[in-house]
Amino acid sequence: MQTTTTYPNVLILGIGNLLMGDEGVGVHLAQRLAKQAFSPGIEVVDGGTGGFHLTDYFTSYPCVILIDATLDGRQPGTIRLLEPRFSSEFPRSMSTHDIGLRDLLEGLQVMGQLPKVYLFAVSIVELQEMYIGLSPEVEDVMPELEKRVKALAGQLVGEKISSSAQSPSVHRV
Amino acid sequence: MSNRIVVDPITRIEGHLRIEADIQDGKVVDAYSSGTMVRLIEKILQGRDPRDAWAFVGRVCGVCTTVHSLASCRSVEDALGIVIPPNAEIVRNLMYCAQYMHDHVVHFYHLHALDWVDVVNALQADPKATSELAQSISNWPKSSPGYFSDLQKRIKGFVESGQLGIFANGYWGHPAYKLPAEVNLIGLAHYLEALEWQKEMVKVHAIFGGKNPHPNYLVGGMACSIGLDDVSAINAERLAYVGRLFEEGKRFIEQVYIPDLLAIASFYKDWGAIGGGLGNYLAYGDLPTNGYNDPSSFLIPSGAILNKDISTVYDVDLREDAQVQEFVSRSWYEYADGDGAGLHPWKGETKLNYTGPKPPYEHLNVEEKYSYLKTPRWKGNAMEVGPLARMLVGYARGREDFKEVVDMALAKLDVPVTALFSTLGRTAARGLETQLIANWAMDFYESLLTNIRNGDTRMADTTKFNPERWEASAQGVGHTEAPRGALAHWCVIKDQKLENYQLVVPTTWNASPRDPEGKSSAYESSLMDNTPIADPEQPLEILRTVHSFDPCMACAVHLYDEDGKQVNRVKVL
Repeated sequence: MQTTTTYPNVLILGIGNLLMGDEGVGVHLAQRLAKQAFSPGIEVVDGGTGGFHLTDYFTSYPCVILIDATLDGRQPGTIRLLEPRFSSEFPRSMSTHDIGLRDLLEGLQVMGQLPKVYLFAVSIVELQEMYIGLSPEVEDVMPELEKRVKALAGQLVGEKISSSAQSPSVHRV
Repeated sequence: MSNRIVVDPITRIEGHLRIEADIQDGKVVDAYSSGTMVRLIEKILQGRDPRDAWAFVGRVCGVCTTVHSLASCRSVEDALGIVIPPNAEIVRNLMYCAQYMHDHVVHFYHLHALDWVDVVNALQADPKATSELAQSISNWPKSSPGYFSDLQKRIKGFVESGQLGIFANGYWGHPAYKLPAEVNLIGLAHYLEALEWQKEMVKVHAIFGGKNPHPNYLVGGMACSIGLDDVSAINAERLAYVGRLFEEGKRFIEQVYIPDLLAIASFYKDWGAIGGGLGNYLAYGDLPTNGYNDPSSFLIPSGAILNKDISTVYDVDLREDAQVQEFVSRSWYEYADGDGAGLHPWKGETKLNYTGPKPPYEHLNVEEKYSYLKTPRWKGNAMEVGPLARMLVGYARGREDFKEVVDMALAKLDVPVTALFSTLGRTAARGLETQLIANWAMDFYESLLTNIRNGDTRMADTTKFNPERWEASAQGVGHTEAPRGALAHWCVIKDQKLENYQLVVPTTWNASPRDPEGKSSAYESSLMDNTPIADPEQPLEILRTVHSFDPCMACAVHLYDEDGKQVNRVKVL
């Protein structure tokens, strides 16, 4: 997706449960990005299983890039970029934290405080045991996910596109 | 002839809960509560450094992240004989109070109110009459006719679009909704105001815990440092900010939550005789004012009440083998010595044995095992935990502060004390304890300032942080009162590693399946207590009672079942 709108601040918010394997993919990415340097205006937060606790992040930034896992039956590791405007447009089977998050987003919508939201949804398979870490299928797409999230964040704060990323590196799958 | 209805999943809760209920002559005659996700946090913790456990358990759930970290630190400190300094105790208490104020308000407005408030009907309200009503019950400033009429206009578009779940997915227009349109409009307005308010309250966690969600704890104390002039520490400016947050939080609770609670309850007094259930109540107590090892200093007292008899409060000892035991005769686990046994958590076992039907299925086989929740018992008794248990134990222990708020509410609603043993009582108790907590938070805040003024800035005792100073083997129990009820973590430490770690969480007490004697736990028992069902297609009444417990299945069970959790609201057979 080539976006022309830019924002003074963009938050990269990885959410999920670190104890549930692939379900924690958003948190794994946030923890990875938190160690890196970004252009001014881009910030990274590990939102964990935050639910209502994340309100302030949504109301403090005009644009939020969410990263979360979905159980949607697609090939594990499939990355989709969505632009949900209503909670009904979020993937149905997001994770354990979806209850609070959906209610939160709906309330913000009613109050006219919902920022522009991009959602990177990463498809995962059902997990049979709690564990900390990622499956090979999801681990394999982490570099691509990282690249796409950073490219989108860069575009959204109006970074100049470097020669190495001339073609739009973020697009709808 | 009875109809079996299935509500799966119960909406507006954290995690996944399934209720099967048999309906006869318009009433629930039998009920089964099942956690259909499995939790195996115990396995993740085995073999880890006990000092790290708080960080893992803090990730279990997004709602009560702090209480698991607190219970974990206490458990390890108990095992290792560590006593935290007074300031650390106060800071933990302040974070605890902030958690309660946040969580109870969010539960009331965002997870439970819509069982009583018909938000679609709010569009019919007269803004002027709404304003007069609002001003008659509270001094809260946002109450002008213009405020309510603007809100109605804004909401109208959303309702008509059908795009928002809160307006699209309810049982709106159900005959069990009894509020006048004006009260519905006040409820809707405060649903939105509470959303705005709650984001401020949780900032206390970020200030003392370094970040939010999942704030930092520390075995031996807290990880923050105090320095009034230090820009990177808890300094004078941050302390003043904390004071303002608690004052504003208290104002919202006094001027919005409590008046709304009493106004709404006054139209639902019949629910003071519905959904009582067990009549057995258990609280571990919390908010120490002289250390974790002195339960007599707890502002929330511990104790057990049996058969609604508030003339006797029994003492509770979580270390004693025969007091708290977990059973698996109806749960998808197996014990090495057979399923009839009850195990104290220090000897607890977590071995899965799923014997339920292969998904997708119509019904669970409720005659056999039917849940991933184990079944805890106190001296063999099924117990209810949560705000009602805490308020009743405080009341029965004769505590003046508890009596004052409870008697105030009973008088205002003009209901007898027996109305407490009900769905209404549970929901009212949650609000009343929030009021108490908001008051206590101001006292803790003053104590912290006094200690600092007197030069005490100690925040941790690290003398035993080094594992070389530990005994070869040790065991501890860390208990707390989570917003939704009594919570404890039992740990066994051997050769500096966790050998066993067991959590018995509030929703396990309340939502568990039957025990080996066939006795129901709190959810089932409450649903079987006089619960009417006006329309089996829209079992709003089941939601009212289950939500009154504030279920949080995330820490009770984890992991999805294989049916892909399709929304399968009700099945009438």
